[in-house]
Amino acid sequence: MSETAVVSVTVKKMLDFAIDGVAMQAEDGQTVIEAARANGVNIPHFCWHPQLSVPGNCRICMVEIEQESGDPWFDIACNMPVTAGMHVLTNTEMIKTLRQDTMQFITLNHPVDCGICNKSGECMLQDYHYELNGAASRSRDPKTHATKFFPLSDRIMLDNERCIMCTLCVRFTNEVSGSKALGAVNRGDHALIRPAEDADFNLDVYSDNVIDLCPVGALLSTELLDHARVWYLESTRSVCPGCERGCSIDVWHRKHEWKLNALDPRMNTRIDRVTPHENPEVNGLWVCNKARDLAHLFERPRAEQAMQRGVAADLAVATTTAAQLIGAARKPVAIVSSWGSNEELSAFHAAFGAKVPGFVKADHLPLAGEIIEDHLLIKPDKNPNRKAALALYPALPERVSDALPADMDVVLVWGEGFDSALIPSGAKVIRLCSYAHADNAGADVFIPISVQTERSGHYTNFAGVVTAFNACFPVKPSIAHAEALFAALSADITAGSSA
Amino acid sequence: MSIVATELSGTKFFMNFPVTDTSHTLAEYRTRFGYQALEKALREMSPTDVTKEVAAAGLLGHGGAAFPAGRKWGVVKLGDGEPHYVCMNADEGEPGTFKDRWLMECVPHMALEGLIIGSYALQGRHAFIYIRGEFDLAYRRMAEAIEEAYAAGLLGENILGTGYSLDVVLYRGAGSYVCGEASAMLASLEGKKGWPRNRPPRLTVKGLYQKPTVVNNVETLVNVPVILRLGAVEFKKVGTPKSPGTQMISISGHIAKPGVYEVEYGYLWTKFIYEDCGGIQNGKALKCIIPGGVSTKILNASEIEGVTLDHNSAVAAGSQLGSGGMIAVAEGTCMVRLAQVIQRFYHHESCGQCTPCREGMGWMERILNRIVAGGGRPEDIDRLYQISQANDGTTICSLGDSAGYACSAIMDHYREEFEYYITNGRSMYDGNLTVEDPFASALVGVAS
Repeated sequence: MSETAVVSVTVKKMLDFAIDGVAMQAEDGQTVIEAARANGVNIPHFCWHPQLSVPGNCRICMVEIEQESGDPWFDIACNMPVTAGMHVLTNTEMIKTLRQDTMQFITLNHPVDCGICNKSGECMLQDYHYELNGAASRSRDPKTHATKFFPLSDRIMLDNERCIMCTLCVRFTNEVSGSKALGAVNRGDHALIRPAEDADFNLDVYSDNVIDLCPVGALLSTELLDHARVWYLESTRSVCPGCERGCSIDVWHRKHEWKLNALDPRMNTRIDRVTPHENPEVNGLWVCNKARDLAHLFERPRAEQAMQRGVAADLAVATTTAAQLIGAARKPVAIVSSWGSNEELSAFHAAFGAKVPGFVKADHLPLAGEIIEDHLLIKPDKNPNRKAALALYPALPERVSDALPADMDVVLVWGEGFDSALIPSGAKVIRLCSYAHADNAGADVFIPISVQTERSGHYTNFAGVVTAFNACFPVKPSIAHAEALFAALSADITAGSSA
Repeated sequence: MSIVATELSGTKFFMNFPVTDTSHTLAEYRTRFGYQALEKALREMSPTDVTKEVAAAGLLGHGGAAFPAGRKWGVVKLGDGEPHYVCMNADEGEPGTFKDRWLMECVPHMALEGLIIGSYALQGRHAFIYIRGEFDLAYRRMAEAIEEAYAAGLLGENILGTGYSLDVVLYRGAGSYVCGEASAMLASLEGKKGWPRNRPPRLTVKGLYQKPTVVNNVETLVNVPVILRLGAVEFKKVGTPKSPGTQMISISGHIAKPGVYEVEYGYLWTKFIYEDCGGIQNGKALKCIIPGGVSTKILNASEIEGVTLDHNSAVAAGSQLGSGGMIAVAEGTCMVRLAQVIQRFYHHESCGQCTPCREGMGWMERILNRIVAGGGRPEDIDRLYQISQANDGTTICSLGDSAGYACSAIMDHYREEFEYYITNGRSMYDGNLTVEDPFASALVGVAS
């Protein structure tokens, strides 16, 4: 941006209004629910969503507008524009009664099977039941029954009895993901959410967002179903490494105080689910299904043992050997990972920048059938930090031999996605990788390094936005953090140059 | 249902000719001033003049809410650069209402003329007729009328050489009651699920395809040629000052002469029931009457004494004239079962979009089913009241509120029948209609 860039400020007309006697301001055109949120007042809602259209079907956001005379006026806050001087009442006896009535209606045919429901613990219906209703059902008649475990797609199960017909999922597929894969069939209390006849919800790569959107336990992830109770889980802010977009995510894993000793200890370091973390600069409120499947990426078989020519070695010994190799090298080359954090990349550059020429590789290429780029979030480069790496090093040329001269003697390969067969036979190979791979044993020195969920750092996305990720799990002592490792590996270079 | 040739006194705008096999055709319609109002509108009047004339005539909407038609048209701004649409609401689904069916079967061209004049007043290029899917003859007659009108240059490009062009789309509904609600009807026209939507914005601001749209009932539109032909002043001489004109009334139930009648507003209600319609079948007494479709509040026999058939009087009596779909209920009818039947309808037709109606209608029906099956509980009456009250004003469309009224109004009048049913597990009238079945004796004869 040029220094003289003019910042255009659209001055929106502000309106004075009040909620429950507290004076506030709203932008002209805002609805009561939006203006209330902007002023920190949360009006209960099921079907309303800041980024979706307003169907006004749940009727829980009913508020009263103070009238000078005559009958009280009440209407839904999500569809009511703020007018100047309006006094919104959210807590009158009439509104309390209406909300309780609405909650009675919503739970009338809801099975209230919280004990076996995956949403239990983070369910809006539970929260509002205690907040707005708090009474047993007034009905003594049997509930209507509907389909249980209806597969909307391979990833999502629908429990129609729990569904409260807020249509958030339908509107998401119509307005955000664009798949138009869901709709409602039938009428009245027999209405059901169903896949559209001419669309396939499996092809919607944003489908799992509807699980988060669902205010009740109707839409269930087949991955998380009967897998973990949410109150045993906590989230750590992270970044999806699935593409150069770098969406902000929350990685959910077992709380420290609920760590298991007796059962499979791997459950303690498992990614139970991934949800989007709101970040207007990068991903808004959504992530694609690739982010949801990060467990499959990070929980591949790991490399946990340092090796020298395939023989297990102590991490410290292997580090020393590698440092000596680099220190003694006459013509070394480094293959730089595009999955390293900004911190690791600068540590790498600080350690080797002067002596070792580096080339940035793409650790991951698009998988067969993977969407390369779309209208919403998905970007073509399937590596999270290539932009930051390319700021320090050139890209690995298409003809790899151009980067690897025949007389090179040491090559340092950092990360996945580089075929060792491309390395000239005379050269010594130092390989740093997180995952088990056949090439690991073939390297002269192999050092296992931590993955993203075991360390903290930052990625710079395609647009230059820097986002932080935090460590979720402890790292095993036999595995090195790359950032610390680079300093140790360059010890001999530093020593050599000072000698 | 036979079309009753009424001997009712008072002015008739529509039922003023002998219905024959050909009386609905363009040729015969032309002998009854057909399309003269359209000629007058297109050649002599500006669009604004037409709206002004309709407003001056005080024409009230005939769909049920009695909203002034002229005021509805006046909201649409001419020359705002947007397309405007006029939709004829012919999705006549209110139980007991079948007056639009008569109009479309017998005076389809009059309805079409009204629609063309309305579209001209709002400068629409396209108009829509949303006709109830179950209508067969009415649909065919409307389709024929449209074809005849195109052939006669009354529709299409450059109507009557005046430069005004209009195309009409005839669209059949798929049988949903709620699609008679204007916004649901437009959603259905757009090819979406027939779900009503919230106001604001009003349909006259953002209606069909998000463009200003006026939705008028068939009967509202057939009045338009009459108004233009007679002039607002002459039109207002018919009926009462607050409800000018006539009302088509379809009466059914335990009435001696069911059918469609045209009455001048201000006609005495009891005279209409007991004289013109021949009173109750088999000489029974009138127990109560559903005035204008089951969504309007029930009135018992004494409440209609001295009441005239116009909107203000009906409201003063505690109900509404609604759509003019009257149902007479004879003495000895079990009101609990009547409420159950009405509630079964609302449960079946609730669109399922917003919470109170979606859940409440089924809840009320299940309670009534249980009462009728003999399992009533003392708290059921209060529960029914409470559910219908929780529907009042809380739903997206007005069908939700009125669905609750129907049952609560019956309970207001006949609470003791509900209490009796709950206490004794059986109807005060043994669950049988005591009106004699006119075919019963014939059947007995067959059996013996």
